Amino acid sequence: MKIDGTYAFAAHQDKVWEIFNTVEYLQEALPGCEKLDEVEPGKYDVYLKIGISAVKGKYKGKFEIADSKPPNSYRLIGEGKGLPGYVKGEALIELSTEGEETVLSYHGDVQVGGLLAGIGQRMIGGISKMMLEQFFKSIEKIVNQKVNIGG
Amino acid sequence: MEDKKKPTSSGKRKWVGSSYKRKEDMRLLTGRGRFMDDIRLPNTKYAAILRSPYAHAIINDVDISEALKAPGVIGVVTGKDVKEMSNPYPCGVPIPPKYYVCAVDRVRYVGEPVAVVVAENRYLAEDALDLIEVDYEPLEAVVDIEKALAPDAPVLHDNIGSNIYNHRFFKYGDWESACQEADEIVKWKFHFPKYAGSPMETYAVIASYNPFEKSYVIYNNYQGPFVNHALTAMALGVPENKMRWIVPTDIGGGFGTKTGLYPYCALISITAKKTGVTVKWIEDRREHLLASATCTDRITYIEAAVRKDGKILGLKDKAMDTSGGYIRPPEPGCAYRSTGNHTGAYDIRNLDREVYVVATNKGLTAPLRGYGCQELYFSTERITDMAAAKLGVDPAEMRFRNLIQPEQMPYKTATGGYYDVGNYPAAFKKCLDLVEYDKMREYQKKAREEGRLVGIGLATVVDPSVTNIAYVAIGKTIEERKNERDKSGSGEAVIVKVDPLGGITVICSTNPQGQGHETVISQIIADEFGVHPDQVVVDTQYDSSDRLYTITTGSYSSRFASVGTNAVVKAARNCLEKAKKIAAHLLKIEQADVVLEDGKFFPKGNPEKAIMLRHIAGAAHWNQFDMPEGMDVGLYGTSMQSMPTSRPPDEKDRVNSSNTYGFVAEAIVVEVDPDTGQVRFLKWASVHDAGTILNPEIVRGQVLGSIVQAIGGSLYEEQAYDENGQCLTASFADYLCPTAMEMPKVDVGHFESQSVLTALGSKGCGESSSMSVPPAIGNAIADALAPLGAVVDKLPLSPSNIWHLMEKAKARKN
Repeated sequence: MKIDGTYAFAAHQDKVWEIFNTVEYLQEALPGCEKLDEVEPGKYDVYLKIGISAVKGKYKGKFEIADSKPPNSYRLIGEGKGLPGYVKGEALIELSTEGEETVLSYHGDVQVGGLLAGIGQRMIGGISKMMLEQFFKSIEKIVNQKVNIGG
Repeated sequence: MEDKKKPTSSGKRKWVGSSYKRKEDMRLLTGRGRFMDDIRLPNTKYAAILRSPYAHAIINDVDISEALKAPGVIGVVTGKDVKEMSNPYPCGVPIPPKYYVCAVDRVRYVGEPVAVVVAENRYLAEDALDLIEVDYEPLEAVVDIEKALAPDAPVLHDNIGSNIYNHRFFKYGDWESACQEADEIVKWKFHFPKYAGSPMETYAVIASYNPFEKSYVIYNNYQGPFVNHALTAMALGVPENKMRWIVPTDIGGGFGTKTGLYPYCALISITAKKTGVTVKWIEDRREHLLASATCTDRITYIEAAVRKDGKILGLKDKAMDTSGGYIRPPEPGCAYRSTGNHTGAYDIRNLDREVYVVATNKGLTAPLRGYGCQELYFSTERITDMAAAKLGVDPAEMRFRNLIQPEQMPYKTATGGYYDVGNYPAAFKKCLDLVEYDKMREYQKKAREEGRLVGIGLATVVDPSVTNIAYVAIGKTIEERKNERDKSGSGEAVIVKVDPLGGITVICSTNPQGQGHETVISQIIADEFGVHPDQVVVDTQYDSSDRLYTITTGSYSSRFASVGTNAVVKAARNCLEKAKKIAAHLLKIEQADVVLEDGKFFPKGNPEKAIMLRHIAGAAHWNQFDMPEGMDVGLYGTSMQSMPTSRPPDEKDRVNSSNTYGFVAEAIVVEVDPDTGQVRFLKWASVHDAGTILNPEIVRGQVLGSIVQAIGGSLYEEQAYDENGQCLTASFADYLCPTAMEMPKVDVGHFESQSVLTALGSKGCGESSSMSVPPAIGNAIADALAPLGAVVDKLPLSPSNIWHLMEKAKARKN
């Protein structure tokens, strides 16, 4: 399943890059994130609790940031599993400056298994879009706070 | 049409043939049915099953330590326990895979059980599943039948060494000479989908183990055949009589889904033994859709050798079935259940067959209503229409030229089937009249001129009922069979007893799932004894400890109307025979002079001296000394009947795979929306010959039910998988079942050719249109799309699939 999209932040690209590379911010912004541990530089263990209908459950996963090219792009490689099934995927995250804004674009390819696949890819598509939206909104909030504080 | 009704013991037939109101309905409609989940036993704990998210993976480790510490958890069973406590199931193929009821060291389809948790309640059991850590090592999966046969395909079972569970060739008659005589050879490849029965009640088991007697009690909602009782005993390694099966009176539908091997009986039994408690497990809907059982999907390469005048001289086909990650009984039966009626309603003497049953990383299969026949007839009836189109013969005319003629009855098919009676051309004509065929062709012509896509689809098929278990045997070659015991039979058992106050109780092992056996048995007994059906009590609950049963017992393969009624009538007549002997003794006359009429027993010519059944029962129970000499006391009759036509396969692989054969003619007029691919039914006629109709309303229900089920498989339903073997249809949001809204108006007609093989002249009709509708819908949509040049060779014909067909045809034209 392909996941693509963009999101614009009203902040300098360096700032956005910094936020996207800070464990505490990611943990704060990730919907349902109970714990995020950096096991070694660029590698993380993550524990999520998701309460949305068919994908409801606890998930344990790990992800890795690879090919990091500050402040322009990195590759996100991850996998996670929970009772409803597993998710495995890879995404290219790119930042670019457009006027006053920083635009983040993502191109991902995700494989789902178990009941997660069985309940319908279109439903999963909707849920992941919703969660991403939530995630970016939270990041945006953090970005705005940082900008306002001028940090 | 024959009008002579078969005689009954009490003089005239009064109740059989009437739409006597179903005895079952009041309790079912008012929520008083007693299903598996209504059974509450003491000290019961609840199971939840962990299932594989991978289609193909090695299991390196299953860590249950955290789950065991979870609140309310009593125990956990894994593949390791299952391997220690049970054997793989046997299966009628040369090398059976090691099919355990739970994955041991490898998973082969998504949803395969990996562990079972037992806890105080289902919620806690489900929570604990979350804590089981399974270390999977994913392997490449294969889902496509033909790709599974490629030399570089991942092999599922090392002990088999390839993905071929079963491969056989058959030769009946002389296909080569048919080809020489033919003017055209028409060939095509067809694909039949994997769809499900979706009964309202899912699988359910309650099992307990008695360590002192080393015996199990297993409540379940299995349909039969009770050969599975023996197979489960073999898997658990216990004698059959140490494993008691109880099936409640009410089962919420089966449609064949519950006739396949029922692995959960063994799995939950093992769990009960290990945990020492009574374990209850009710399958949830997602589990059911993901991993219970569907029909067998099939690829067919078929060729028909036809003469210019439309006569089909021979058929050659290669059927490639997949039974998924494992093969389990009665598979490879999907390929063989229809052997006797492979040439259907047509007089075709030459047939070459090749059969493959293939392993793929998909869910497992069971005999879905129509078992094997919808797969078969979709290819044979579509190729018949393709041949008609090629020869420029009208499809109705094409069928008339090939139908077996009434004077050919009884007809022995090239493959060993024995059709006892029937008038196929007359029944087909009735169907064409009902749909107003000629008028509809005119209508179609006009519609086409307006650019509308209107099509007419026909199918004429033979509807087999009461399988003879011999059909499973031909999965093996004649050589392989030589070392084994022959298999044959279709037996069913009934006990009729008369209590000390003269009440009649019928105890049967027919194990219905909604077919109305209580009602119809009451009608039959009422006619035999000359009483009112309301006076008859019928007990259909199954219990292996006190019912007579054999390996073929149960409700499947539309058995009741044929062999079930034979057993009812024979048991009733055995009971009446005894009653007449006692009556003769009491009346001090010869038995031959006893007359039974309207429930009265009297000396010939002296009705005023009549005694009633209660008097006879009274004597047999209350004054046991005064019985005819040497006679057992009490009043009862029993019968366990097979059919004389149930014989083993012969040395030429011919087998009478069923015992009675009905006929179905389907005529469907459709209109396809050229923009959306949506199909609308404009007119539909369905004519059935199932011999004597026992209860017209029940038959109507069966016919309409088989139609709506087949509409599902033809237009909407498919258990779909992606290329990784992930099931994409595990909820009713994606797995589309037709509802009342999708049910068209159908004109149902009947033709009654009384069977000479059954006591009442009846034949099965529970499956009927489930086998004729998929080809008829295929033919109708093919006919509608013909002006575009689109070819229909695949089901389901969903709007998007039809739209793609139309687009492809347009692209070809441009």
